Amino acid sequence: MSLTAFIIRRLLWTVPVLLCVMLATFALLRGAGGSPFRPPPGYSGVPAPLQRELSDFYHLDDPWFVEFGMYVKNVATLNFGPSMVVRGEDVTDVIKRQFPITLQLVGLAALVSLPLGVGLGVLAARRANSWVDLAVTSASSLLLVVPVFFLSYVLSRYLVLEWHLFPLGWNTSRSKVLPTVTLALAPTGYIARLIRVAVVETLQEDYVRTAHAKGLLEYRIVWVHVLRNSLVPFLSSAVSMLALLVTGSFFVERSFRVPGASSAFLDAAFTRDYPLLMGLTVVLAVIVLLANLVADVLLAIVDPRVRDAMRS
Amino acid sequence: MRPGRLLELRVRRSTAIAAVLFGAIIAYCVLFPLVSPYDANGVDFTRSRQMPSLHHPLGTDTYGRDLLTRLAVGGRTTMLIALIALSAILAAGVIWGTTAAMAGGLVDSVMMRLVDGLLAIPRLPIAIVILVALRLNAQNVLTIALALAVVGWMQTARLVRGQVLSLTSRDYVRAARALGASRFEIARRHVIPNSTGIILVAILLELPTVVLGEAFIAVLGLGPDPPTATWGNIAQDGLYFARLWEPFLASTAIALFAISANVLIDSVDEMLDPRRRLPMRRERRVSSAAV
Repeated sequence: MSLTAFIIRRLLWTVPVLLCVMLATFALLRGAGGSPFRPPPGYSGVPAPLQRELSDFYHLDDPWFVEFGMYVKNVATLNFGPSMVVRGEDVTDVIKRQFPITLQLVGLAALVSLPLGVGLGVLAARRANSWVDLAVTSASSLLLVVPVFFLSYVLSRYLVLEWHLFPLGWNTSRSKVLPTVTLALAPTGYIARLIRVAVVETLQEDYVRTAHAKGLLEYRIVWVHVLRNSLVPFLSSAVSMLALLVTGSFFVERSFRVPGASSAFLDAAFTRDYPLLMGLTVVLAVIVLLANLVADVLLAIVDPRVRDAMRS
Repeated sequence: MRPGRLLELRVRRSTAIAAVLFGAIIAYCVLFPLVSPYDANGVDFTRSRQMPSLHHPLGTDTYGRDLLTRLAVGGRTTMLIALIALSAILAAGVIWGTTAAMAGGLVDSVMMRLVDGLLAIPRLPIAIVILVALRLNAQNVLTIALALAVVGWMQTARLVRGQVLSLTSRDYVRAARALGASRFEIARRHVIPNSTGIILVAILLELPTVVLGEAFIAVLGLGPDPPTATWGNIAQDGLYFARLWEPFLASTAIALFAISANVLIDSVDEMLDPRRRLPMRRERRVSSAAV
């Protein structure tokens, strides 16, 4: 299969998956029953005239498939509709305001964890079975199993609230340091372990011995010949890495008061603001599926065998 | 002794340690509440927030509940949630995977593409949506197990499908088919007995994920209603009162349980099929513990 065919096929498969996610979310939130206008505790609720307006906009009085169809049509035109809990709030505005913050947080964390994780992984692999290896492997395993809520709580409590070393929020570049570092810890451990295993394995390959034999410099062998082969396991685990980052962002944003999409998601969940929750879920799904698509396409470029797996 | 033998010994030792740890955590959670003199939910503000002592080896929480007891009872609830969720994952994974493999062609293709797509979407947000939708009444063990199962069955389905496909293309299965064995007979004699191992591994693989998922959900305030103790709820109780001790205890319990489970899965996997000793699988396992 050619690369273009692979990309097109892969892209086409994304659409039904996205629709399935939308339908499932819709069925869950609307199928659970009850009026969508029940005010959550602490909210005054929506006045009757506005309720009618919202009912008309979302076609709440029509059969579910009409309601869902209209919703999909609106989303396709990037109109996510008004919030059902906060008066005058538009879901599209919330998305435009808060998603870039989370994207920046996740992007920065990935940017920190990538070189750090690769560096640690290569270091451990070069000295496999030494105490350096043991230390790096233990540390990266620890980073992976310590729950992110514990880390973000400890760091925010001591470094921010008690010792005032960093401010809360996401306004200044100084305030971005701690959330980024906290979010980067688990992926760093993950990448380090991934790269270590891949490099240890590749170092035993015949062509590495050939490279040694023909007198290539050690660093060139590791960084050019060996590491290139780690791209495949690295790209195939992009999904797990992204999941780590997204899961972590919920706790990091909460602990450090980052006004990102994950906090908006939680607020929407607790106020049962279903258009907002749906809008955020859809955008999250689109971003994740696209990231996954990019990783798969890169994988197909690096390792052409992947393209054939698509055919089956 | 050859270094290879030494390495083998080390693998076995780590397996032994993990098995002991894993068994000890489960035994503690199941047995300790029976012998503990304290009630895990008994509120007594006169004993609030005590330091570890002989009477309370892990201290007490804000409500004056003995944390050693509460951690055991919490672990029991967490394991119950895991047990229910894993059973549901097992059922869904086996049904979906076997159907896809047996159907083949376009049906298989559609079913697996869907699984791949769903696998890409992070579990936590979807679990939150499910719990919000279910939260018409109170949150309980069953709803949380259900939410965790709904977001966690895809990997198992994929593994089961792969196993069924690889088995049905083996020569002895084809020979059996040529000899006139029915589809049912092939499933009973060849596919099922040879799949129990990988299904066991697939299910165990989800165990750390489910335990950690319960904690994430509870810390976000969507756990079982108080005073139910789970590891996640204990962490959440501490965080609510800005105390570090309870989340530390809960996180330690979760981390020890997850690590020992992971090491055990590796050993079970290698024991079942030494040829399958691919390092990449191990890494994927590590990731599943964290996501």
